Amino acid sequence: MPETEYSFGRSLLSLRRDQAHLMDQSAFPEPMSMEVELDSFQRQVAEKFIDLNASAADDEILSLEWIGKLLDSFLCCQEDFRVIIFNHKSQLLKQPMDRLIEDYFERSVKALDVCNAIRDGIEQIRQWQKLIEIVISALDTSRKQQLGEGEIHRAKKALIDLAIGMLDEKESSNTLAHRNRSFARNKDHNQHIGYIRSLSWSVSRSWSAARQLQGIGNNLATPRASDVMATNGLALTVYTMTSILLFVTWVLVAAIPCQDRGLHVHFYFPRHFQWAVPVMSLHDKIMEESKKRDKKKKGCGLLREINQIERSSRMLNDLIDSDNFSLTDEKSLEVKERMQELMNVCEAMKDGLDPFDKKVRDVFHQIVRTRTEALDSLGKLQNQE
Amino acid sequence: MEKNDKDPDHDDKSKGDEKGDVVSDAHLSDDAHQDGSNNKDNVDVVGNAETDHQDPGDNNDDKVSQGEEAPEIRQTLESLSEELDQFLPTLSLHMEEHKDCTEEKGEDGYFQIPQFVGKFLDLFEEKLSKYDSGEPKTVWYQDPEEVSSLLEAVDRVSKLMVLLLNTKSCLDHHESLINHAGSIQQRAMAFLEDEFRIILEESVTKESVVVTDDSNSQRRSTADQQDHQNDAAVSQDQDQMLVPECGDQEIEYPGYPEDVVVVLRKIAEKMKAGGYGWECREVYLVGRRNILMRTLKQDCEFEKVSIDEVQKMSWDTLEREIPIWNKTFKDCSSLFFPGELKLAERIFPGDEGSLFCIVTHGLAIQFLGFAEAVAMTRRSTEKLFKILDIYETLRDSFPAMEQLFPEELRGELRNEVTSARSRLGETAIHIFCDLEHSIKSDSSKTPVPGGAVHPLTRYTMNYLKYSCEYKDTLEQVFKSHSKMEREEEEPVESGNSAFASQLMRIMELLDGNLETKSKQYKDIPLSCIFMMNNGRYIVQKIKGSAEIHEVMGDTWCRRRSSELRNYHKNYQRETWGKLLGFLGHEGLMHNGKIVKPNLKERFKSFNATFDEIHKTQTTWVVNDEQLQSELRVSITAVMIPAYRAFMARFGQYLDPGRQTEKYVKYQPEDIEDLIDQLFEGNTSSSSTATARRRT
Repeated sequence: MPETEYSFGRSLLSLRRDQAHLMDQSAFPEPMSMEVELDSFQRQVAEKFIDLNASAADDEILSLEWIGKLLDSFLCCQEDFRVIIFNHKSQLLKQPMDRLIEDYFERSVKALDVCNAIRDGIEQIRQWQKLIEIVISALDTSRKQQLGEGEIHRAKKALIDLAIGMLDEKESSNTLAHRNRSFARNKDHNQHIGYIRSLSWSVSRSWSAARQLQGIGNNLATPRASDVMATNGLALTVYTMTSILLFVTWVLVAAIPCQDRGLHVHFYFPRHFQWAVPVMSLHDKIMEESKKRDKKKKGCGLLREINQIERSSRMLNDLIDSDNFSLTDEKSLEVKERMQELMNVCEAMKDGLDPFDKKVRDVFHQIVRTRTEALDSLGKLQNQE
Repeated sequence: MEKNDKDPDHDDKSKGDEKGDVVSDAHLSDDAHQDGSNNKDNVDVVGNAETDHQDPGDNNDDKVSQGEEAPEIRQTLESLSEELDQFLPTLSLHMEEHKDCTEEKGEDGYFQIPQFVGKFLDLFEEKLSKYDSGEPKTVWYQDPEEVSSLLEAVDRVSKLMVLLLNTKSCLDHHESLINHAGSIQQRAMAFLEDEFRIILEESVTKESVVVTDDSNSQRRSTADQQDHQNDAAVSQDQDQMLVPECGDQEIEYPGYPEDVVVVLRKIAEKMKAGGYGWECREVYLVGRRNILMRTLKQDCEFEKVSIDEVQKMSWDTLEREIPIWNKTFKDCSSLFFPGELKLAERIFPGDEGSLFCIVTHGLAIQFLGFAEAVAMTRRSTEKLFKILDIYETLRDSFPAMEQLFPEELRGELRNEVTSARSRLGETAIHIFCDLEHSIKSDSSKTPVPGGAVHPLTRYTMNYLKYSCEYKDTLEQVFKSHSKMEREEEEPVESGNSAFASQLMRIMELLDGNLETKSKQYKDIPLSCIFMMNNGRYIVQKIKGSAEIHEVMGDTWCRRRSSELRNYHKNYQRETWGKLLGFLGHEGLMHNGKIVKPNLKERFKSFNATFDEIHKTQTTWVVNDEQLQSELRVSITAVMIPAYRAFMARFGQYLDPGRQTEKYVKYQPEDIEDLIDQLFEGNTSSSSTATARRRT
C-alpha cells in the first residue's frame, strides 16, 4: 500500500539522516534541515492546491483569473524546488538521484513547448476578441433603435468568422457547408477558412499538445521506497514537482486553444501526498467540465471566458437572422443581453490576457532557469571530482 | 465600359417608381409606424438590384438593346455622385444646425432627402453586384479609373451614413433609407475586405527579389499602364536578376508594385472611414502572417521547430538547421521585418507599428525559442562553433530588429534576447571548459606508435585554432557570461582576458598530459621524439594562426622552441652519443701499434649498434618534414665526419679484401643514406609513402 510505503520512506529518512550527515558534511550544515526543508515543500504545495481547490467554485474554475493563480502557485513551487535542488546538488550526482533529476529535466523541457503553444493560443483569443469587438460595434443600438440589414450582416459575418475560428481544426472543413456568409464569392470559401485560421508560430504542423502532455507524464510513477531512502527523501520532492508540472500543463492545454488538444493523460497521485487530494479533485472537476462541453464537439478550450464567448456568440448568431433583420422587441432585448455578456467578457480579457501571457512566459523562463542552474552546478561538481 | 451600357438600363427600369418611393418614404416615416412599410420599401429597392444581378440573361438582352438609347446616359453613378457631393454639405449643415435639438419634436427638424440619393445607392449596389458576379473581365484594381470610381462611391456612402446617423431628424424620418444605405455600405465593405485580401495575397510580383533601384521606378511607371502588370513586373525582375552586379542592389520585400500599395492604402482608408477599420486590420494581419511565413519557408527554407524537437534531433540534423536559422534571423532583421514595418506604415499610416508587432512578434519569440532550445541540448564539444554562430547572429542582427519594435515591446524582446544570449554564452563557456576536462581525463595507456603526434594534441590544437577564429566572440562570451563560473576559483589575472587565460590553461594541461604520455615510452630517445613531434605540431599550429598566436604571444613561442631544442639535444645524446663512443681512439693503440682484435671488435659493435638504431628508428615517425630533415641533418653532421675520420685513421689496418669486407660494413655514404631513412615510420617498406603523406 502506498500509505505504508510513504511512512516507511519517512521513517527511513530520519534514520538515514545522521548517516548522511556523516557522509557529507558540507551538504548538511544542520542535521535536521533537509528533512524540514523537504517537509515544508510538501506542505507548501499542498497548501497552494488546497487553496486553489477551494477557490475553484463552479464558475471560478478555469477562469482566466483562476488559471493565473494556478500559474502563480506553480511559480512558487518551482522556486522552492529550485532552492532545494541547489542546496542538495551534491546529492544529484549520486544514484539514483542523477537519474531522477535528469528525468525531471527532460519532462520539464517538454513543458516549454506547451508554454509556447499556449502563448499562440492566447494570441488566437486576442483575435477572437477583435471579432467580438466588431460584433459589438455593429450591433450598437445607442444611436439607432432598430438594427438595419447592414449592421446585421456585418455582425453575422464577424460571428461566423468567430465560430469558424473557434472550431477545432479538423471540424472546420465539415462546417464549411453550413457557412452562410452573405456576399462571399463561392470560389473563396476554402481559401477563406484557411485564411482566418491564425497561424501557430512556435510549433510545427504536426505538433500535438496531447502527445506533448503524454510525453511529460509518460511512466510517471511514485518513487520506489529504496529510491526515497537512498535520496533522503529528495526523490519525493522531484516526484511532487513532476506531478505539479504535469498537472499545470494539462490545465493549460485544457483551457487554452492549441494544436491537437487532448486531455486523456493518465493521472493518478496517491492520496498520501498531502497535495494529491486537492489536485485530483481539481482534475475531476475539469474532466467533468470537459465531458460537459467537449461532448458535442471538440472545443477550442475550456477557459471560462471562451465558453462565455462561445455561448453568447452562438445565441446571438441564432437571434439575428440575416434574412429577417427586423427584430421584435423581445428579441432585441435579448440581443442586448448577449451583447452585454460579450462586452463583459471582452472587458475581462482586456485586463486579464496580458498578465496571463506574461505568467506563461515566466513559467517558461523559470523552468529553463531551474534546469540550467542545476546542470551548471552539477557540471561544476563533476569537474571538481 | 460595360458600366455605361448598363446604368441607363437600370435608370430606365426604376425611373418610374423611384420618385414615388422617396416621397412615400418621407411620408411613411412621418407616421412613425414604420415596420411594415419600411420593409416593403427596402425589399423593393433591393429587389430591383437583385433582379439585375441575378438574371444574366436579362442583362445580356439589355446590353444589346440599350446601345442606342444613349441620351439616358446622363444619370450614371458619376453624374449622381456630383449631385450627391453637392447635397452632402447641405445635410451636414442641417446636422450642425440641429445638433442641440435632440429633444425637439421630430417634425420641426424634418429634412427632405432628395430622391437621387436612393438612386445613387441603387446604382452603386448594381455595380457591386457586377463585381460579385465576377462579370467584369478586367480586374478592377488594375484600372485606376475603376479604383477611384469604386472607392469614391464607398466614400460617399460612408459620409452619407455618418451624416444620417448623426442627424436626429434623419434617424427619425429616414430609417429605411439609412438601413438601405447601411446595407449597401456593409456589402461594399465586405467586398473591399475580400478584395483587400486577394490583392494582398496575389499581387506580390515576386517575394523578395533582387532589383536595382533604377528598375524599381521604371517598373512602377510602366506597370501603371499595363493590364497584366504582375506578369510584366515579374519578367522585368527576372531580367534584372540576369544582370550581374548592378551597382547598389536592393532586395525588395514585400515586393508589391507601387500602384498596388496605393490601392491597398486607399481600401484601408475607406474601410476605416466607414467604421470598418477592424475588419481591414484583421485581414491584413492574417494575410501578412501567412505571406511572411511562406516567404521564410521559400527563401530561407525555414521551418518551425519546437524545443522538444530540437532536443530530439541528431546533431547532424540540428547542425543543418542552425545555418538556416541564422540566415532567417539575419534576413528578418535586415529585410523581412523592415519590409513588414514599411508596408504596414504605408498601408495604415499612423499605425505606429502596432500591426507590424502583431505580424512579427510571435515569430521573433519563436526565433528565440530555437536559440534557447539549442543551448539546452546535450553539451558536446563539436557544438561550440554553431552555438557561437547563433550567439553572433543575435548579437549582430538583433539591435537592428529591436529598433523596428515600438518602445514598450522592445523591453520584453530585449529581455528575451538577453536571456537567450546568456544561455548560449554559458553553454559555450561550459563546452569550452569541457575541453579542459576532456584533456585532464584523457588517460589512454597505449603510447602512439613511433612517437608520432598524439590524437589528443591534434584534436586540441585544431579545436583551439578553430575557436580562435571566434576569438573576439569567445572573449566577449567569457567576459559577459563567466562571472558565476569562476567566482569560486582563482581570480583572473588582470590584463589577461578570461578567454586567454582559459586558453593558456588548456595549453598547460595539454603539456602536462603529453609529459605524462611521453613517460609511457620506455625508450628515452623515443619519448624525446614524441615530445618533439607534439611540440613542433603545437608551435606550427600556433604560428599558422594569427589569432591564436596573438593570444599565446611571442615569448611563449620562443620558450616553446627552446624546449624543443632541448629535446633534440637529449635525443641526440641518448641515441648517437653512444654510437660515437665506438668511434673514439682510446683502447685501439698500444705502444704506437694498433690492437687489431679491439679494432675488429669496434667495427663489429659499431655496425651492430647502428643497425639496431636504424632498424628501430626507421619505424619512428616524424611527420613534420622540416623537423625530419633537421634531425637527419644534425645526425649526419655529427656522425659522418666522425665516421670518416675513424675510417681514414683505422680503415687501413684491416687487410684489404675479406677482412675489410667483413668489418667495414658501411662506407660513410652508406651511413648517410641510411640516416636519411630514419623517422619514416616504416613498419614495412610500403608504408613509407603513407607515413609521409600524413602531416
